[in-house]
Amino acid sequence: MKRRLFASLIGIVLVAAVAIGFTVGSGDRPSLGLDLQGGASITLQPEGEYDALALDVAVEIIRSRVDAIGVAEPEIIRQGDTVVVNLPGVKDQQRALDIVGRTGDLQLRPVLQSGSVDPTGGTGDTGTGNTDPVDTTVPEEGGPGEARGARPMVDTTVPTTDTTAPTTDTTVAATDTTVPAPGVEPIDATVDEESAGVTTANDLPEGSEVLLGRDGFAYLVGPVAATGLVFENNASANIQGSSWSVVVQLRGGAEGEDIWNALTSRCFSRDTTCPTAQVAIVLDGEVISAPVVQEAVFTGGEVQITGDFTEQDARDLAKILEFGAVPVKFEVSQVQTVSPTLGSDSLRAAIISGLVGLALVFLLMLAYYRFVAVIVFVGLAVSISLQFSIITYLSKTNGLALSLSGIAGIIVSIGIAVDSYIVFFERLKDELASGRSLRNSAQRSFEGAWRTVLAADTVSFLAAAVLWWLTVGSVRGFAFFLGLATLADVVIVWFFTRPAMLLLARSKFMATRSMFGIKQPKTGEVAP
Amino acid sequence: MSIGSAFGRLYRGETTVDYYGKRKPAFLVSGVFMLATVVALVLGGLNLGIDFKGGVAWEGPATATLDQDAVREVLEANGIDTSNAKLQTLQGIDGERIRVQVGDQPDEVRVAVQKALAEKAGIESQEVSVAAVSSSWGRSITLKAIRALLVFFVLVSLYIAWRFEWKMALAAIAAMAHDVLISVGVYAIFRFEVTPATVVAFLTILGYSLYDTVVVFDKVRENIDRFATSKMSMGNIVNVSSNQVLARSLNTTLSSALPVISLLVVGSYIMGATNLQEFAIALLVGMLTGTYSSIFIATPLVAILKNREPKYAAVAGAVAQGAEMAALFEHTTTRAAQKAAAESQVSRESSVLKNTSSNVLTHPPRPRKRRRR
Repeated sequence: MKRRLFASLIGIVLVAAVAIGFTVGSGDRPSLGLDLQGGASITLQPEGEYDALALDVAVEIIRSRVDAIGVAEPEIIRQGDTVVVNLPGVKDQQRALDIVGRTGDLQLRPVLQSGSVDPTGGTGDTGTGNTDPVDTTVPEEGGPGEARGARPMVDTTVPTTDTTAPTTDTTVAATDTTVPAPGVEPIDATVDEESAGVTTANDLPEGSEVLLGRDGFAYLVGPVAATGLVFENNASANIQGSSWSVVVQLRGGAEGEDIWNALTSRCFSRDTTCPTAQVAIVLDGEVISAPVVQEAVFTGGEVQITGDFTEQDARDLAKILEFGAVPVKFEVSQVQTVSPTLGSDSLRAAIISGLVGLALVFLLMLAYYRFVAVIVFVGLAVSISLQFSIITYLSKTNGLALSLSGIAGIIVSIGIAVDSYIVFFERLKDELASGRSLRNSAQRSFEGAWRTVLAADTVSFLAAAVLWWLTVGSVRGFAFFLGLATLADVVIVWFFTRPAMLLLARSKFMATRSMFGIKQPKTGEVAP
Repeated sequence: MSIGSAFGRLYRGETTVDYYGKRKPAFLVSGVFMLATVVALVLGGLNLGIDFKGGVAWEGPATATLDQDAVREVLEANGIDTSNAKLQTLQGIDGERIRVQVGDQPDEVRVAVQKALAEKAGIESQEVSVAAVSSSWGRSITLKAIRALLVFFVLVSLYIAWRFEWKMALAAIAAMAHDVLISVGVYAIFRFEVTPATVVAFLTILGYSLYDTVVVFDKVRENIDRFATSKMSMGNIVNVSSNQVLARSLNTTLSSALPVISLLVVGSYIMGATNLQEFAIALLVGMLTGTYSSIFIATPLVAILKNREPKYAAVAGAVAQGAEMAALFEHTTTRAAQKAAAESQVSRESSVLKNTSSNVLTHPPRPRKRRRR
């Protein structure tokens, strides 16, 4: 028992010392937020026609994309007609541009050929492969829609409009205009990525490339035929009968319907530029879906994509169509580094007042608990070393940035960390006051205090976890630091405070002293 | 009673304050504060900052005569409060520029500042751009945060209900709502500007309040178990619990508040980082109400709720006072022991002030055969 306590005590102090040693030695510092350190500022200038409403929508879309990347606490504002994206801690301007430039370029590209990357993945034949998803697009007002070919490999060299895949008719059953979707002949051997490229290598149109699909298939796609701009920002996932589908409105005129119909008529006729009749919906180089076109011209102005979607699939696709389609085209007009909004004086003020606060807390502990306060002090030092190392590591690897509210959160967490000691010591005092030996009291009071600390920290951690999962921006930053402080508290109480106090209670040092000014009875007086 | 001995009793956890008996005045005081908050919210609302409401931004080239301090001067000359202004220098290919954002201003102020800035820099006023800026705190951030909070409330209620009981979950959530409402009230009444940091402060208060309440409830639960076999009123149980944790609560509040007070005094008054000031005030108020509500709102609420149970309803009126309450602190689980404790209260009362160890010895520890849970 005693040895294990020693091992735990030495272990945690060693871990903290090594961690802080490494962190300080490597010269890394946690990167700071926009308010404290500044970062990169990208100004996006809208091009072409736009109105205020479209700009608002565009800002929301850009925000959701930048947030999704996970850069800590970005700031996205509209300044006049331009959109300003401020990214904290990003010193490298090219990287900042990459982040904004990479986000959500939605393209529509004809599929030249598709195949399984997995050699065993597509051997099922369409006749029996009724578990495979089939996408069918049908305009709401009449006319056949489009369906994605059954998953097993599609042989694109032989147009097989007359064969009907038995699985497709169920997916369009909910619409009035049910047409058995043309299936595609399965081939026996699956084509892997390389051979897909080889077979058509001679007559590939310029701009063709092989892209991976979200479904695990590889697609050889032609040049970009349209962008997400052909759709309105109103894609929605609907349930029809028992299957989910996605409906999206086409933008009218040359910007939308015309481009879309040019693409679909090419595919519908299985032109050489679109031999599979499939249109790949590509987001950031990934094929999200590749439905088969079911109609040459979409007169209703509405596109419906059906298939063997789960609710999640449908909602995801709808979100991609909606967010992918920024209603305004932007050009990066300026990339600048931006200075902090608060200035170095507030950072210094926060740090100095934090240290003063820490010193005051230590004085309070010393006055109230006397020499036992040393345990509080060492415990806090271990805890701060561990947290500082973790924050530094994560800000280097995950772009975590410490903003002023994060620092304030850490200052507040000092109080919560000290509370664990107070709960423990107060219990210990009670036990001692009711006449138990120090050694006995320490063990008993730790058990009680551990339960309390665990219950209270669970609530804090729950708060941190929920906020971290479900929010963005500065709330998320706060949640991270709260969660880290809570975890550190639990770890310190178990691995540091417990062995330190239990060992102190047994030590020769304590045999001649009283703890908290309460004389302990001589061993003989305590009932055995 | 001298201050010294009062502290001694607090230090030894021997205070005998009848918190339960003071529940009505406490509820009344809290009710008044919450009412004031609601009135202030309805009449004035919150003073939302530029991050929520948007505002106006000026941008121009930074010159030798136009630096951040010069911009501050110009703003102040036009009657704009600069404590929450966002002043930034931008470094790009076309040299250094300076950007300042403040809350919304009327047209004449926009033009006046634009002219003044250009004058300071010695350039044409067209070279300083004026533009409306939108909020950086998007609607989606608020929606997501609210959704997360709702999920959190459900989870934390379930956790407390599982760990303790649902009545305590109810009381904890009520106490937390009380704390957050009063902290928001401080912002509404004093018209402090709400920034994203403020939202974080409110969340901190929410977490602190629940944390503190759970620590107190753990003691209440322990005492409920301890008195499970005796007929003990809930009033007594919460009184004993609150008195037992009083030293801990005061200590914790002090050690949590000290860094915040330091933030307020050292950071904001001495070092002049005024943007820390309102944040610190909100935290301070939240922490004080957090401790207050755990003892004066949450625990009495639990007692009131639990008094409806038949077991406690029968003895609801019996609340021990003074030394009689002090006797309950000992491990007296049988009626006979309680009686003995009550009889020895006179000798105890006198010994309390003299010294602790003799006090302890009047009640020799019972054999260590406590029921394990």
